[in-house]
Amino acid sequence: MFDLSGTVSKVVFGLTLALIGLFLFFPLYWLVISSVKSNAELYSIVPTPFPTHPTMTHFVTALTTGKLPMYLFNSLIASGSSAALNTLLALYAGYSFAKYRFAGRQPAMLFMLSAQMFPFGLLLISIYPLMSEAGLLDTRPGLILSYIVFALPVSTYMLYSYFSQVPDELIEAARADGASDLRIFHTIVIPISIPPIVTVFLYSFMWSWNDLLYSMTLIVSDHKRTIGPGLLLTYLNEVNSDWGGAMAASLLASAPIVAAFLFLQRYFIQGVTAGAVK
Amino acid sequence: MAKLELHQVRKSFGNVDVLKGIDLAVDDGEFAAFVGPSGCGKSTLLRLICGLDEISSGQMIIDGQVVNDVPPAKRGIAMVFQSYALYPHMTVSDNMGYALRLAGTPREEIRRRVEAAARVLRIAEYVDRKPRQLSGGQRQRVAIGRAIVREPKIFLFDEPLSNLDAALRVEMRIEIARMKERLGTTMIYVTHDQIEAMTLADKIVVLNAGKVEQIGSPLDLYNTPANRFVAGFIGSPRMNFLIVQGHRLDGGRVRVPGGSVSLNTSPPEAAHEIGVRPEHLELCAPGTSNALDGRVAMTEHLGSDTYAYVALDGTDEMIVVRLDGERPISQGERVGVLVNPDAVHVFSTDGRTLVSAKPMARNAA
Repeated sequence: MFDLSGTVSKVVFGLTLALIGLFLFFPLYWLVISSVKSNAELYSIVPTPFPTHPTMTHFVTALTTGKLPMYLFNSLIASGSSAALNTLLALYAGYSFAKYRFAGRQPAMLFMLSAQMFPFGLLLISIYPLMSEAGLLDTRPGLILSYIVFALPVSTYMLYSYFSQVPDELIEAARADGASDLRIFHTIVIPISIPPIVTVFLYSFMWSWNDLLYSMTLIVSDHKRTIGPGLLLTYLNEVNSDWGGAMAASLLASAPIVAAFLFLQRYFIQGVTAGAVK
Repeated sequence: MAKLELHQVRKSFGNVDVLKGIDLAVDDGEFAAFVGPSGCGKSTLLRLICGLDEISSGQMIIDGQVVNDVPPAKRGIAMVFQSYALYPHMTVSDNMGYALRLAGTPREEIRRRVEAAARVLRIAEYVDRKPRQLSGGQRQRVAIGRAIVREPKIFLFDEPLSNLDAALRVEMRIEIARMKERLGTTMIYVTHDQIEAMTLADKIVVLNAGKVEQIGSPLDLYNTPANRFVAGFIGSPRMNFLIVQGHRLDGGRVRVPGGSVSLNTSPPEAAHEIGVRPEHLELCAPGTSNALDGRVAMTEHLGSDTYAYVALDGTDEMIVVRLDGERPISQGERVGVLVNPDAVHVFSTDGRTLVSAKPMARNAA
């Protein structure tokens, strides 16, 4: 793709790469080192590039004294449930779009994908009165349902693309073997689709986990608050600016997503359908 | 044991007619092969018989019962797919037993039947493996095994050997021939490989553009093709065709590129084209009376046979002559081509056979 044989081009390439890397990772680096600095070091006039006396105090404080564990738990419930619901819906929708021919299939799919074009904030304006009408404001089910708007269109499309590649002959063989449509889906198609299903689950989980706006708007009781607004309201307000605590709590909050993606990466590679046809 | 009958079966996708009225009967225990060029509708026909697609009109009868609306699993048929279509997440034995499990067959019975089929197909040692751990030939055996355990009334094969390499294909062809002997079940086999059709089938159905061109035994089709299409499709290398340029030069002769050809009968008025198989031609010295003159444009040495491609004088067309493998012949050589009068087929403008070769016509040489 690129000719990197010359010295100049090598240097330019390396510098560009380093610049992009710096831009991407410096905030992350600052987050990590700030979380292990003592308060004295954090608030010194001259910033230190390396923590002089690394300490875990902020982590201990965040986990033991604040409401962080509760926020994390709330997020886990909300994100986990909405990801599960989202994946379930996307599974059936994606499969029917991929393998059944019905009137209005194309328009229905376009309509669904078009939902992704609206800013989430805009959708919230219409979701709020809906939730209010349904009595779901400040409830976990309300939040879980509203989270579906983040990921369902893309999830459905991802699974649709995958299911489209499942060979028809495999489905026909099962049909000739006497399996019903639902049975084929449950015993043949889903078991060979685990990697994309996991991907979709983690994708929707991530969206919900990272949410600030919806949770902030739809949830008012502190004991139902998720991690996003929880972090914001605890660490950054008029009376308090505990940067060390905020950094440590942020790290703890992003840990599940990072772990999930490490897991996902390993999962992607294997081709589960190998040996089905040809 | 089952007899299959099709009456005026049609299939259309939108306004495209894929099958245009198929009449066909396959007797109990008979092995029928569907052959034809790509897109002729042979696989579609098989899918209709299987029940994967619904027929647009007509009747399909298995054992006297109309099965037009009967779902695949209730038709008493089993299909072996071209791509094998094994369930990748199941072991070999689970693949083979899937249909029986769905039908609620007792566990012990399933085990017994799967084991028996695996033994016959020599895959007994692989039953706990997943399809991806098997070679192409083994996967093919599993696909066949999956059909056998259901003990169907009719087996359907959709180009089952087309994904295998040449050596394995021959081996599996023999395997299927033995299976046919042993099981005695009605079998329908779709292939584009006419050698498979000729060697395996009791009855060949030649399809073209959604219509049946001819139904008959392999030798019937070879010796007395009903039309130019069948004549050209069955036989390898294919039959040589020569346009008739003049009629009745004297008695039973017609003029064609490169000279004239004798027939064993007086040529019909409507004669448009003649056809002669490469094995019914012989080379002779150029200028021999009653022979066609030309030049050897190319040769193919197969060891047992040699094919000489002769460009006839006054035409761009080449005809193929099948020779003994040891026969020395060089490119550019001028030769005469002697046509066995008993082996000449005569076709009309619309491709119908007007005169058939005498059955089993043999080269004079």
